Amino acid sequence: MSANRKKVFYRRRKVCKFCVDKVNYIDYKDVKLLQQYILERAKILPRRISGTCARHQRQVQRAIKRARHLALLPFSSD
Amino acid sequence: MRTYELMFIIDPRVSDEEAEGLVAAYRKMIEEGGGTISKHEDWGKRRLAYPINKLNEGRYELFYVNCEEGSPLPEVERRMGQNEQVLRYLTVRTDQDRIPSPPEEEAESKAEGEAAVTGGAK
Repeated sequence: MSANRKKVFYRRRKVCKFCVDKVNYIDYKDVKLLQQYILERAKILPRRISGTCARHQRQVQRAIKRARHLALLPFSSD
Repeated sequence: MRTYELMFIIDPRVSDEEAEGLVAAYRKMIEEGGGTISKHEDWGKRRLAYPINKLNEGRYELFYVNCEEGSPLPEVERRMGQNEQVLRYLTVRTDQDRIPSPPEEEAESKAEGEAAVTGGAK
């Protein structure tokens, strides 16, 4: 029973931030925002962690790739 | 009429005057090709996230362009590609992305519904 309880305990519902803010377009120039969606090694933060919905994750992904091309964000870092 | 953003990075070793000349030349090309530049942003020198051509910084310039479909931009891009002083360039079409924001109420609420569903499933 205690195991069951534990399971219930940490199930926080993840909500897509962009949906909450009703974002229609994610700008590749917004480096500060995009930095929140890359990991330490400069990988793109997966949806299962950020909770971003599919549509917005796609937009984030596109924006990050654009920003990388322009050297606003790194492709990799150690 | 479409709107585009054209961002490019100029070699930081190029002098200020030369860089301005380069920007003016591209501006002229766009205007002669029937486009207008509604806004020009000069971000100045910025640190690059990774070295390009062994350089660690670059001068960022950004044009907001209005023009007919494509017209002067492919040529401008071609020239930028040939110019070694331009480290990178990127053209993004922005009209599609931004104009639908007001009439998209319906689609948006639908997207939210979907988000709620996936959120619940997790």
